[in-house]
Amino acid sequence: MTELSRRQMLAAAALAAGTLAMPRILRAQGNGPIKLGTLTPLTGSGGSYGPSMAEVVNRAAAEINAAGGVRGRQIQIISEDDQTNPEAGLRAARKLIDVDGVSAIIGTWASSVTTAVAPVCWQSGVFLATVSGADSITQLPHGGFIIRTQPNTSLQGTKFGEFSAELGAKTVAFMSPQTPFTEAQFKFITEAVTKAGGKTSSLIYDDKKTTLRTEVDQVLRGRPDVIVMGGYTNDTAVLVRDLYRASFRGKLIGFGYAVNKQLVDALPADVSEGIYTLSPSTAAGSGAYAHVAKLLGVDAPDTYSAQCFDHLSLIAMAMAAGQGTTGAVIKDNVRKVAQGGGERVTEAVEGLNLITAGTKVDYDGASGPCDFTEVGDITDAKFRYEQVKAGKVTLLKIA
Amino acid sequence: MITYLLFALVVGSVYALLAQSLMLSWGLAGLVNLGLAGFFALGAYASAMSTSWAHVPIPLGLLLAVLVAGGAGLLVCFSTLRLRDDYLAIVTLGFAEVVRLVASNEVWLTNGTDGISGVPSFLPRDTGLWFHLGALVIALLAVAAVYALQRRLLQSPWGRSLRAVREDETVAAVAGKNVVRFKAQAFSLAAGIAGLAGAIYGHYTSYVAPDQFQPLITVYIFLAVTAGGNARPAGAVIGAYLLVAFLEATRFLTEFAPGVSALQRAALREILVGLGLVLVLSLRPDGLLPERSQKAPGR
Amino acid sequence: MIEALLQALVNGVISGSLLALPALGFSAIFAVLRFPHFAIGALATAGAYGAWVVNARLGLPIAAGVAMAFAVAALLGAALEYGVLDRLGRGGALMKAIGSLALAMVIENVLRFAFGNDLQAFDLPLARDVVFGPIRIGPQQINNLLVALGVMAALWAFLALTPLGRSMRAVADNPDLARLKGVDPRVIALLTVAVGSGLCGVGGTLIGLDTSIDPMTGARILLSVFAAAVLGGLGSIPGAVAGAFVIGIAEELTVLALAPSYRLAVSFVVILAVLTVRPAGLLGSRAA
Repeated sequence: MTELSRRQMLAAAALAAGTLAMPRILRAQGNGPIKLGTLTPLTGSGGSYGPSMAEVVNRAAAEINAAGGVRGRQIQIISEDDQTNPEAGLRAARKLIDVDGVSAIIGTWASSVTTAVAPVCWQSGVFLATVSGADSITQLPHGGFIIRTQPNTSLQGTKFGEFSAELGAKTVAFMSPQTPFTEAQFKFITEAVTKAGGKTSSLIYDDKKTTLRTEVDQVLRGRPDVIVMGGYTNDTAVLVRDLYRASFRGKLIGFGYAVNKQLVDALPADVSEGIYTLSPSTAAGSGAYAHVAKLLGVDAPDTYSAQCFDHLSLIAMAMAAGQGTTGAVIKDNVRKVAQGGGERVTEAVEGLNLITAGTKVDYDGASGPCDFTEVGDITDAKFRYEQVKAGKVTLLKIA
Repeated sequence: MITYLLFALVVGSVYALLAQSLMLSWGLAGLVNLGLAGFFALGAYASAMSTSWAHVPIPLGLLLAVLVAGGAGLLVCFSTLRLRDDYLAIVTLGFAEVVRLVASNEVWLTNGTDGISGVPSFLPRDTGLWFHLGALVIALLAVAAVYALQRRLLQSPWGRSLRAVREDETVAAVAGKNVVRFKAQAFSLAAGIAGLAGAIYGHYTSYVAPDQFQPLITVYIFLAVTAGGNARPAGAVIGAYLLVAFLEATRFLTEFAPGVSALQRAALREILVGLGLVLVLSLRPDGLLPERSQKAPGR
Repeated sequence: MIEALLQALVNGVISGSLLALPALGFSAIFAVLRFPHFAIGALATAGAYGAWVVNARLGLPIAAGVAMAFAVAALLGAALEYGVLDRLGRGGALMKAIGSLALAMVIENVLRFAFGNDLQAFDLPLARDVVFGPIRIGPQQINNLLVALGVMAALWAFLALTPLGRSMRAVADNPDLARLKGVDPRVIALLTVAVGSGLCGVGGTLIGLDTSIDPMTGARILLSVFAAAVLGGLGSIPGAVAGAFVIGIAEELTVLALAPSYRLAVSFVVILAVLTVRPAGLLGSRAA
């Protein structure tokens, strides 16, 4: 290839990049729709969660739009894929922020993706609502630009430990892949179980393995009466099958995001029978969870989708309350609509109407009361205690 | 918008460094390195750990990254000395996997899957565009320096010997070339360059975690180098920038697909990436810039 | 402790049998076409989805599903070789290898586009393990082992006893000589890819029967399959089987001896060790 054509080619490439970007510069400003982004794992290892997270946000936004939008302005959702990979996620986030001009990003799932994306968000004044569980996330110097609806590990681990003790466990085994919260989770479970006079052990497995037989054997040698499963849907499916094959007769507890409809559907009913799950929840009788179920057309939506629904509701109401659409407005007003008394609302349309009428609202969402601390953690959450019965996830109690 | 372009250029430059690393070991020395992501990770971790925890200055961190990755390259190369040539590819593939496993599981050493956040950046983050410009200048300088180095090496007796080794090891050995030494030097240098790329990436994004170093990045770089032409530094560099442009462009292309869910759009995007790569491979098997036939010296 | 060891060995044989078919396919393709076909993971997933559609959607028995898996993967593998990879061959083996990586990405995402990311399970009850003294083993695992062994035996018979199989081996040993004898290496190559891909499809289905399937089912086992084939000696059919069992057992023993998360690292150390002592792999003959 000659020198000339090389230059031509470069010029062509630059031109192509330029033309692709051009109309967007114009679109990013002005009084068009309010742009919000979802950044969820649609491919890669988190792929079983991201699609419905993005979907629920889209449907909830459509609902808000149909009811007149946020102070008359429509919401436009732009969905990108983080590929469950911080490198790719960061590129997607930059595109959402710089090209689309979103004022908030909803739904980052993997803690590594959230941590990679977070600095870019607070630096650009973009609000980030995440479902990641790693404790380190809210400790980042984010200046208020992050909220997280997933309970942090201390809250969650303690609940798991207490529930194990409540089930009468003397020996609790924790089986989990390596995640950012594995260590802390085990620590808090151990604290709660030891307090009740029991003991614990843990085993960290490789979540890409297609069989966990030897891992199961290893754990069962300790004769646990409760096994807490710390993985996600795909690897938990493998684990539950191998526990069944090994004729484990004790009790199984898993995260609500792992033991979900998808998992139950993928297992014969007698295999999943009796598994307990915990997910963060709103108080009993709140309409928000049922609302999400209706939006997605399923009877037990997973907690991540519920959380993303809450993200969008909070962001929409914060923008209405602050009478602005920037990330900073959301940051400054999100706690005004999330907590502190006022008319209790469970979804955005109702809340937006009240806010426009000048009434103070207090949002109770699908994943919990959605009250946030200074650093963006939820202050408290009830938990939904559910159990799989005859191939259905059924509610035991909310406490 | 400007930020986005600057960002893409910095990422492109990091890819360009990786591409040059691959070009040196694969294109010139014929050593297939499927563990590029591993050396990339080692560099990123070396610099991030030393600058965040031991508070050494960033330039020293970059140097450390090169040394650690280069040293590891030497080690990997020597561990395969007794093996058949093509086994280097397998050993490097395993090496990258081991690096990721250690980074994920040895929490005491690397902070595990949580990663290292708040890695010092070249310029403070609150300087707006300057933050990106500073990173871009440093990344471009690195690309240019490596490029110049490669050009010199290519034309030096060392480069000619290396190509001789690649073309026919036996003949080269008969001609008195120390085949093993040439290969080890080339591979180690290439690994060092990948390490430098990792360090720059870590300082730019302020975050280093095992998930960033999934094998996908190695695939991407192979494609970049193949598209650009695998035996010329300029080809590798151009290929890398084109790759980033293409990866980003697919986002905009799939936005026009009607009636598909977010999931399907993401799938479409990856299909496009895969097909694009196959297309480039089949249309230009030698890359955009094929290797120049080397003229005999003293023409 | 002995019991634990014994049980881990049994588990290793079982997981090895799941790796064996894809490893066989990979190795057979390498023997004839001389390039590492990295799309075998995706082909295994495609086959598994084929079987799943037949079994779970159409309600046909598993056996029909397995046949479908073979057919889907074989056709897809051959079509990709004929339509795409063969053209890339001019650029050398590495071009084909890279091309196959790109194709794997395409296949995985076509499946994702069509079926979504959700876990899909076969319509199959799960049986509890049967206990023999200190050892337990699952009926499904025994079934899988038998299917895998049966397919291996059929493959061996095909290669050893049929003229077509002999032509394949001839091409693998020496393409030029084979051409002289009137065998068209291109036809044989296509056929090999079809058979190799089909084996991967069946392998993917067996994994799906053991667990469940999603678009990344095959990608998860790719490294282990690759390790097994290399360990056995690339291009060696019995070697691939031996390699699969060694890797399977090594991975299970890792759980006992070391941390379970380091299983892949252990596989690669085993490869490094074996190849240092036997450069051609366990049963490979081509120590060029």
